[in-house]
Amino acid sequence: MERLIEKWQDKISEVTLGAKKIIKIGGETGIYFIEGEDKCPNPPRVAMEVWDMEPESWPEVLKSSFGKALKDPGDWAKMCVDKFLADLICLRLASTHPDSKNTSGEEAGKVLEKVMKAISVPLIVIGSSAPEKDNEVMAYCANIAKGQNCLFGIATQANYKTLTAACLSAGHAIISEAPIDINIAKQLNILICDMQFPADKIVIHHATGALGYGLEYTYSIMERTRLAGLSGDKMLSMPMISFAGQESWRTKEAKTGCMDTGILWEIATGSAYLNSGVDILVMNHPKAVEEIKKAINNFTSRGA
Amino acid sequence: MDEFKITFFPEHKSVSVDRGTDLLTAALKTGVHIYNSCGGEGVCGRCKVIVKKGDYITEGSGRVSDAERNEGYVLACRTSPGSDMEVFVPEESRLGDLEILTEEIKAKRLAGLYTPVEEIEEEHYKVTSKIFKHGPLSTKIFLKLPNPTIDDNSGDADRLLREIKKHHKEINTIQMGLSNIKRLPRLLRESNWEVTVTLGNRNRTTEVVLIEPGDRSKENFGVAVDVGTTTIVAYLVDLNSQKVLGSKASYNPQVDFGEDVISRIIFAQHEKGLEKLHHAVIDTINTLIDNLIKEASLTLDDVTAVVSAGNTTMTHLLLKIDPANIRKDPYIPAVNFMPVIRASEAGIKINPRGLLMCLPCIGSYVGGDIIAGVLASGMDKTRDLSLFIDLGTNGEVALGNKEWLMSCSTSAGPCFEGGGLKCGVRAMKGAIQNISIKNNSLEIQTIGNLPPKGICGSGIVDIVSELLKNKIIDRSGKIKDNKICQVRDCDGIKELVLVVAEDSATGKDITIDENDIKNLIHSKGAIYTGIEVLLKESGFEKSDIKHVFIAGGLGTALNIRSAINIGLLPDLPEKSFAFLGNTSVAGAKMCLLSYEATDKADVIANKMTYLDLSTNALFMNNYSAALFLPHTDIELFPSVKKLLS
Repeated sequence: MERLIEKWQDKISEVTLGAKKIIKIGGETGIYFIEGEDKCPNPPRVAMEVWDMEPESWPEVLKSSFGKALKDPGDWAKMCVDKFLADLICLRLASTHPDSKNTSGEEAGKVLEKVMKAISVPLIVIGSSAPEKDNEVMAYCANIAKGQNCLFGIATQANYKTLTAACLSAGHAIISEAPIDINIAKQLNILICDMQFPADKIVIHHATGALGYGLEYTYSIMERTRLAGLSGDKMLSMPMISFAGQESWRTKEAKTGCMDTGILWEIATGSAYLNSGVDILVMNHPKAVEEIKKAINNFTSRGA
Repeated sequence: MDEFKITFFPEHKSVSVDRGTDLLTAALKTGVHIYNSCGGEGVCGRCKVIVKKGDYITEGSGRVSDAERNEGYVLACRTSPGSDMEVFVPEESRLGDLEILTEEIKAKRLAGLYTPVEEIEEEHYKVTSKIFKHGPLSTKIFLKLPNPTIDDNSGDADRLLREIKKHHKEINTIQMGLSNIKRLPRLLRESNWEVTVTLGNRNRTTEVVLIEPGDRSKENFGVAVDVGTTTIVAYLVDLNSQKVLGSKASYNPQVDFGEDVISRIIFAQHEKGLEKLHHAVIDTINTLIDNLIKEASLTLDDVTAVVSAGNTTMTHLLLKIDPANIRKDPYIPAVNFMPVIRASEAGIKINPRGLLMCLPCIGSYVGGDIIAGVLASGMDKTRDLSLFIDLGTNGEVALGNKEWLMSCSTSAGPCFEGGGLKCGVRAMKGAIQNISIKNNSLEIQTIGNLPPKGICGSGIVDIVSELLKNKIIDRSGKIKDNKICQVRDCDGIKELVLVVAEDSATGKDITIDENDIKNLIHSKGAIYTGIEVLLKESGFEKSDIKHVFIAGGLGTALNIRSAINIGLLPDLPEKSFAFLGNTSVAGAKMCLLSYEATDKADVIANKMTYLDLSTNALFMNNYSAALFLPHTDIELFPSVKKLLS
């Protein structure tokens, strides 16, 4: 039987991240893992999450993999890169949330500097999802990391201007997030670009749903985004990011199930998104990272 | 039970009410009309009044600011008396002059509601070559009956019918009621066998409606009525000469019970709700007819027919039929094809035996006003693909040509009629209807060139287009800092000051805030997406549309360019657009004058496919894409793309 190979008219923009060690994401001219179509110069990458405080909400099975390193963001980041082979580090400034420790921008900046010193892989920096506090903290941190070409997040339709301006002046890339709505995703990208922000420094996040918690919805929105991007829609032709780890470990199953449930949940969620065209997977458990990296290698080396 | 006396100022009208009665209801009893869009649910914040004296109980509302609360402002619908009270109703909370003077409005180009029929038909002739044959709903004929003899001995009634058929061979079956027959022997003999017979066209049979002595065939008049959700318009028509003798318009006082059809259907379920709604509309129609015949020096008996066009809910309320099922799944109205009845049965005061015809409806949310619109536009007669848009509260859209017709209702909201806006007003004197920004300053044009009172529908379209063009707002409708218009923060919402207090008629600043813009974006998005879905479902492209007919309250005052800029209308050459004004009353008039038009209305209603958007997945998806200025996909609006770049 003859196989139908789709030819796409456009390509996904290529985003370069990092200063010491440089990583490129995106640049696809076809769909991942479809033989004959998958002209993807840059394979999907796995980032590991590091917090600026010990994550109390994490279940023991997840915490135990990192041991004492959880107490020091620098050590933690180094461990993820050296021991677990993370391609990028995602620093979450969780302690800055007013309901948490409400730490200041300066304190967050110090943590960021520490992490930057400890590793050479590119850095993703995200706030605590408290819009007003984020504006203050992220603007400060973006300046601290000036020239490091990080990926900063998370810009939303309701709150994108401060972060966009900060990233623009410090030369960082930005995560633009929409609540599983392809139109809002596009609108936000237009608004960000209207502020003279370069389109090839935007990474799309469609919110992430874990297995059983909305995965199919996010999956199809991501797939639609990718198809639209490949079909020539410039405002949707950005690489995509997914927080598969965070969402998986929030599920009841991962928290209360036996040892492996959470890991399996994270693998299942992450590998599904791999097929939807995700470019960066932000993950938590080292075992899940290992399995996902294996899967990426298998997929990309096949036939090559 | 305690009774309190409430006095409303400046009218100085008083009413006694029981404890627990809200001020909105109390005001209504005195005939003071207070603006409210939500039907007294405490949501819209339009019914602000100032308490001058007396104790009261009021529920807290975010709609009243702290500053206003200190001045004694309360929401009328959420406030009840605790003692006798004195209440002042400020200018901005009033419904405005109940009746709009036709002359004045005509002068102000508000053709949407008030153009004389002739103007509407000029447009109409452009697209239709064939006019309907004259054959009104009721015809008067003068008969000289041969005196009975021993040889010509048919009965009085038989004789009458025989003579009618002799003169009108096209009539096959003819009906006459008992009451007419009873009157006949005396009437014929007293009038020397010379009588005028009124023949009514009732559901394809002919009825002897009325028999009068002597020749009264010249005095035959009818009324065409548009029963709109917001406005009621009536034309007095000479059924012989086909001339319009006068037109009158008035707000639909049902607005007191809720601004949109859904809140009125809910209100109809209250105790005596249906009755109140019915009387509100009937009283208005009767007043309009009364004024029309007085001006034309006629008597009520000379009016023998009324044709009404209104959406399905309005038609139900006019006929006092419970509309409850219209809003309940599976959304079935009591009647779509309403038979011709006596006008008096519905409470309309014309000749007691006169007829009432309602234009047929298609479904719960597409009614006779759209049938009238399609009829008046003539879009069902040409091969060209035409689009019909009614910019009213329900935002109906129809697409088609002589082969097929498809329509949908987009629930655009009251925004185009000035509803749901912080400083919104209907298209009345002093309403801002156009603005332009030149040399970094704002130029404002109001209806009647009077001090501005607020913003009407066409005004908001124009304002948002200008703000977008001058980059004062971004494409999501968010206000940016700028040098042209003062930006300020009001309870956490950004607003632009368009007119400062000292220049306005209300003594308050006239502003537009981000919520107003969001409302407009939702309304225009709904209409545009309705158009998109109709095109998609019928397999046509935007470029296939040859004519776009626009009807409704903002009619000719609407700036087409602005409407395209904000993404309300598709980006087509401006020459494809035509204003038809109030097509609802125009269509009703056509049916009043011609049975051919009536038949055509039935054909249109039967032919039209109704698309329910509430269950349409494509609509929901495309709708969120349309919630941007002009649209998320700017490629759909190449002329706007050029303008903005």
